[in-house]
Amino acid sequence: MDLAFTPEEQQFREDVRTWVRAHLPADIAHKVRNSLTLTRDDMQNWAKILGKKGWLGHAWPKQFGGPGWNAIQKHLFEEECALACAPRIVPFGPVMVAPVIMSFGSAEQQQKYLPGIASGEVWWSQGYSEPGSGSDLASVKCKAERVGNHYLVNGQKTWTTLGQYGEWIFCLVRTSNEGKPQTGISFLLIDMKSKGVSVRPIKLLDGECEVNEVWFDNVEVPVENLIGEENKGWTYAKHLLSHERTNIADVNRSKRELERLKRIAKAEGIWEDNRFRDEIAKLEVDVIALEMMVLRVLSAEKSGKNSLDVAGLLKIRGSEIQQRYAELMMLAAGPFAVPLIREAMEAGWQGDQMFTGNAGFPGGAAHCAPLASTYFNLRKTTIYGGSNEVQRNIIAQTVLG
Amino acid sequence: MNFDFTDEQEQLRDAVRKWVDKSYTFDRRRSIEATGGFSKEAFDELNALGLGGLIIDEAFDGLGMGPVEAMVVMEELGRGIVLEPYTQTLIASGILTNYASDDIKKEWLPKIASSEAFVVLAYQERSARYRLEQCAAQASKSTASGDSYALNAIKSMVPAGDHTSAWIVPAMLDGRMALFLVERDAEGVKAVAYGTQNGGRAAELSMSNTPAVLLTKDGLSALEWGVDIGIAATCAEAVGAMDKLVALTVEYMNTRKQFGVNISSFQALRHRMADIKMQLELARSMSYYATLKVNAPAAERRAAMARAKYQLGLSMRFVGQQTVQLHGGIGVTDEYAGSHYFKHLTQLEMTFGDTLHHLALVSNNMQETAGVFA
Repeated sequence: MDLAFTPEEQQFREDVRTWVRAHLPADIAHKVRNSLTLTRDDMQNWAKILGKKGWLGHAWPKQFGGPGWNAIQKHLFEEECALACAPRIVPFGPVMVAPVIMSFGSAEQQQKYLPGIASGEVWWSQGYSEPGSGSDLASVKCKAERVGNHYLVNGQKTWTTLGQYGEWIFCLVRTSNEGKPQTGISFLLIDMKSKGVSVRPIKLLDGECEVNEVWFDNVEVPVENLIGEENKGWTYAKHLLSHERTNIADVNRSKRELERLKRIAKAEGIWEDNRFRDEIAKLEVDVIALEMMVLRVLSAEKSGKNSLDVAGLLKIRGSEIQQRYAELMMLAAGPFAVPLIREAMEAGWQGDQMFTGNAGFPGGAAHCAPLASTYFNLRKTTIYGGSNEVQRNIIAQTVLG
Repeated sequence: MNFDFTDEQEQLRDAVRKWVDKSYTFDRRRSIEATGGFSKEAFDELNALGLGGLIIDEAFDGLGMGPVEAMVVMEELGRGIVLEPYTQTLIASGILTNYASDDIKKEWLPKIASSEAFVVLAYQERSARYRLEQCAAQASKSTASGDSYALNAIKSMVPAGDHTSAWIVPAMLDGRMALFLVERDAEGVKAVAYGTQNGGRAAELSMSNTPAVLLTKDGLSALEWGVDIGIAATCAEAVGAMDKLVALTVEYMNTRKQFGVNISSFQALRHRMADIKMQLELARSMSYYATLKVNAPAAERRAAMARAKYQLGLSMRFVGQQTVQLHGGIGVTDEYAGSHYFKHLTQLEMTFGDTLHHLALVSNNMQETAGVFA
């Protein structure tokens, strides 16, 4: 047992750090550091920069053009990106659909889709949830009927994150109503420019349109866009979920945000209040305990010994921590979390002449502007990716049978 | 960075587990509790496995092992909620190794390694609660001979305090805390023993002009070092106890029937078990963290122990309370082993600083950055 990274791992971290800090545009880092609004271009610029280096698909094996890193190297890369305030990699292409295409797609599909994912050129979206299929995903109804050499797709997907930017979407579609619900699902890749696809943004409680509804009205999808075999889509989707291991805990980002919480608490004069500081202290221990749990999983993955089935625990704890730091940041700002001035969440806003002498925000604290919005936005973390209650079902299954 | 155990560590675990399973049965534990809470015989059997010298240098007849091996042993003793305070052997070994003179090491360490001597840290005072720096005991240079000191002290909650060969005792010397070694048969010592909530044994010690040997004038550092070894050991012990308690609860939930089905089929109870599993794995993670920080520089070590003991305290209380709840009525009976695990865990929370105490330490010492490697 040893807590220290090896000299090679340390060197790897240094190399990644140097590269990330040299290539991450300062204006993008500034927005991430201060929770300001990121545009599509911000996200895609960073994706392309990583893509050029061959690191957008940082978890990919070498045979598909990835760096072939082990679990610890991947973790160190993610940590360095988070600490440098890089935007989160939009996962739908490189993290979610790519591994499915690698494992179950044909050679032609791999050649057609993977390069655009690796370079960050093509924006992918996820078409899983439907109005009637949330936690009970196997009940999806969006229908794909085989007609000649294409599928005719009809139905609706929802909660499609950043789908307004999507160029392609991978969907779970119903191709059969025989047998169990899981056995009639297929995994289909759909060009979102196809006739009959329409996207409607859903305004969320923070006022932003982060997710969308996607409708399919007699959309013709060539049969060569089917991944693997018809009616085997559920198996492929589960494979995809098994790739979501430690990254779902998002502990690196939480470490960064914990530091930010401390800065905010100090700036707002609440740091000296024992009652408030104790809440930060509890969160600090939560973060360290989560990080230790992540490190245990990484170690087990590296050595192949003591496999640890704790993905559900990581998801629950990670999401609770994200919500908690956002909550404490908002509470630290107190009354100055209340003003809703959208412009103040944009980079470069100077408040014009509205609040002269107060640095552009009531009370003069522009860093307070996004805090409540972030708090509202992060309520999603315990709901998405398998709600925390579904995760508890899964954990109970492993413990109790 | 790796969390795998070596083959030797697994063998050590197996040896202790076998002894616990075969020799430290729940019935035997009950009879030990009924006859005073400490069995010299059981402690000797444990030491016969070679544990007396586990972390003592080979130069002093020990095995020269480290914190990870200590953790492995403590997890297994926790699994059997063993009453005999092996933690004290680790603490005494650690304090003497790092702070005693060569002469004292030569005299005492081989005796601890061979289990001829059982040395216990006697530091708790009535007015100190968990504050280590608070010490009313007084030491003065004795007039009789050059190197001897006399102690006046009252120490409480000394584990198995009347079964020891010697105590390590903090006392103020010229306004600064020092540690002393006091032998069992020294003049002016009175030890009054009593039972503890977990079925174990402790003693109230009083010393009146008692002759003592000076261990170190750097008393607070040495005491913190000893207590930190104790915290890491307690964390590991708690993990072992919780592991076993959760296993008992799973077994019960899969056999107990109500409304015609196993109670493990009810979602409210299943989710409770998921929350218990969460607390157990967080605790195990922080126990590893504590163990791997035992040899870190003092400030880093202290900070790590506070974080670990805070998490362990939360986990112990939650797992203890909720496993009792999941058992229903049987969970609150004396007859059932589970309630004894609950009591043992409750006592461990209040050993070496409880959850609020350690939260305050974490809170008062927070730095700008945080994390396992910060």
